[in-house]
Amino acid sequence: MNHRKFQRTLWASWLGFIIVLVIWQVVASVGIRDPLVFPGPASVVEAAIKNVPLTRLLEHIGISLLRVIMGFSLGAAVGITVGIVSGWYQKLGNVLRTPIEILRPIPPLGWIPLAIIWLGLGESSKVFIIFLGAFFPIFTNTFKGMVAIDPNIVRAAQTLGIQKNRLLFKVIFPATLPDIATGFRVGWSYSFGLVVAAELIAASSGLGYMIMHARELSMISVIMYGIILIGAINLITDYLIQEVFLKRRLKWHYIETAF
Amino acid sequence: MTDDDARGKVEVKNVSKQFDIEDSDQGLAIKDVNFTVQPNEFLTIVGRSGCGKSTMLNIIAGLLNPTEGEVLIHGKPVTEPGLDRGMVFQSASLFPWLRAIENIEFGPRNIGMPKDKRRELARDLIKLVGLEGFENKWPRELSGGMQQRVAIARAMAMDPEILLMDEPFGALDQLTREDMQRELLRIWENRRKTVIFVTHSILEAIYLSDRVLVFCPHPGNVRKEFEIDLPRPRQKSSTEYMAYYEEIYENIS
Amino acid sequence: MDTIAAIEEEKKGFQLSDRWIQIITTVAIIGIWELLSRSGLIKPVHLPSPTRVASTFFYIMREGYPQDITIFIHIKATVWRIIQGYLLAVVTAIPIGLVVGSHFMLERVANPVVTFARSIATISLLPLAIAWFGIGELSSILLITYGAFWAILTNTIQGVKQVDVTYINVAHMFGANQRHIFFRVVLPATLPRVFAGMKIGLGVSFMVIIAAELVGTVEGLGALIQQSRLYYRTDITIVGMIFIGLFGLIISFGLDRLERVMLPWAVGLEEVKR
Repeated sequence: MNHRKFQRTLWASWLGFIIVLVIWQVVASVGIRDPLVFPGPASVVEAAIKNVPLTRLLEHIGISLLRVIMGFSLGAAVGITVGIVSGWYQKLGNVLRTPIEILRPIPPLGWIPLAIIWLGLGESSKVFIIFLGAFFPIFTNTFKGMVAIDPNIVRAAQTLGIQKNRLLFKVIFPATLPDIATGFRVGWSYSFGLVVAAELIAASSGLGYMIMHARELSMISVIMYGIILIGAINLITDYLIQEVFLKRRLKWHYIETAF
Repeated sequence: MTDDDARGKVEVKNVSKQFDIEDSDQGLAIKDVNFTVQPNEFLTIVGRSGCGKSTMLNIIAGLLNPTEGEVLIHGKPVTEPGLDRGMVFQSASLFPWLRAIENIEFGPRNIGMPKDKRRELARDLIKLVGLEGFENKWPRELSGGMQQRVAIARAMAMDPEILLMDEPFGALDQLTREDMQRELLRIWENRRKTVIFVTHSILEAIYLSDRVLVFCPHPGNVRKEFEIDLPRPRQKSSTEYMAYYEEIYENIS
Repeated sequence: MDTIAAIEEEKKGFQLSDRWIQIITTVAIIGIWELLSRSGLIKPVHLPSPTRVASTFFYIMREGYPQDITIFIHIKATVWRIIQGYLLAVVTAIPIGLVVGSHFMLERVANPVVTFARSIATISLLPLAIAWFGIGELSSILLITYGAFWAILTNTIQGVKQVDVTYINVAHMFGANQRHIFFRVVLPATLPRVFAGMKIGLGVSFMVIIAAELVGTVEGLGALIQQSRLYYRTDITIVGMIFIGLFGLIISFGLDRLERVMLPWAVGLEEVKR
């Protein structure tokens, strides 16, 4: 779409949010009218500020983010390594891929009970779930990237007299970066949902826990607050990763963005 | 002059097209274009990419409206697409969810022709473009050349007086392209119509047309006109052919 | 040079020897697993032996867990919830998506809201749903609907936006009116993308329901693995996970098959951009 047209209609983007907020407030004040059951946006903000002190909130956010980062990094490291190895050594790849493909259909959240049995109710079980959520897409995309390298690029490098090791680092790896990036995006988008779910189900800290705890205390406004907060953080981190990290590093390649 | 004489006659009068800067990148795409196409004439507009020839064709088709001037088809101004004009686009214009024969039936179906009549009509056209046996293929199963044949058959299904072709062979490889050029002439000999053809290939223009208009950009306009006075089928290697080529090439830059 | 060989091999397609490697690897893994269990290096509470898992596999079909709730009852519970939630999402998201996608301004207004709604973790809505509707069918179903809805909606909108304008031009040349163009051109043209959205939506539904069932239901695959954990029946947990995995596979294969039947003309049209 033409850039000018985009600018001209920027106001429309805000209109959507405003409409939603207005409808929300109307339903709350005129329709349901019980702030304990269905608080409007104003009540949500008010109650949240009252009931969740900033320090506690930052604690929750921090813990959740920490778990995500740890799980994601682990998943990325293992995923990329195994992906590249599987792509580079075909026979070994077949062997490695067998258990991976067998385990893939099981959604990461389905691993929670087993993770708790193995790792207890502490940090490691949550990190493990996020690891799984990041590993599969990153591995898959890395492997696909390795296998789908344009042979002409490799041949061109060889005619320029490159040795085997340098070929891997200087040619093959950069060529797979776009696919790895895609895997990152997918993996990250799973990670956030997973950490919240894992915390909902079995944790004593973090944003997911905050929401679940609020439910036990029947503080619906805090639940809503938490939900929106999680959504916002998700959006922001996604945006940061795309714009700052991926687009800068991979200027030479077109990356599809959500924005 | 009777109505029949005017059938298929296209008059382009002082046509200009200014694109809104907001909408697109062009400014003044074409300016003060004037030419006439005689009934059953094969006219080609040739020019570099971006010279405005496609814009001109789209205006004749009725898909775009001129900012100034008008296009008359036997005396009546063109404001929107109509069944008197059929159009073949460059590529990927066949509806992928319809089989070849169903694509051809699209026009007739749209006006409510009963099923057996339009089936017969479509079969006839399939034969005409040489695709017997491929009626029930999906477009994705057909090669580029075959797809364009179906596109031609589809455009001819409503028996339009005027056939508009926007670089229809541009996406094909050279050999297929040359086959299609011969095919097109064969079909045209079989069912005479006015053809307005757009291309950037001078060789193609000379091979196919009675008359060639050289279009030049900034803003788009007819620079020069050439009558191709060679008997068909034309030899691309003949001296006369190359002479035309040289002349047109000079005028294109 | 391994990678070039790999590329050429991959292009040749799946060889019989590949299949053998897979089979051998699988058997080897199960074998080693069994040995480790037998030797006592792995505690059965952590990972029961394959033989134990196999026998539990059949046990759970006959006797069930908790008592009398066979695996089929669990599966049925999960499936039924998915069906209800998913269908609700489909019948709402597709029409809305078609309308929004067709109108530029509508789409501009809706886009940010949709983007935000999608970034809300569906599972985070579970406490809200439970607070309003209690633990039960309705909460799970609504959660599924929420998750699937946005996936289907965004893909439908994109599908409409991406309809090649050439198709519409062709239709115009034949004098088709607005209604005809919508039903005979736009609609079929969006089908592949809508179907892709439906596939994703079903996948989301599946993941959401498992999570929801982990929190609080008695029947259902998620409930099964949660319950069994609480009673240290790791063998049942694993069998449950196997069933979950199989279920997921059946869903995705089933959908691929369905797509090939319903949209035979669309093979290869929805290709991943590199």
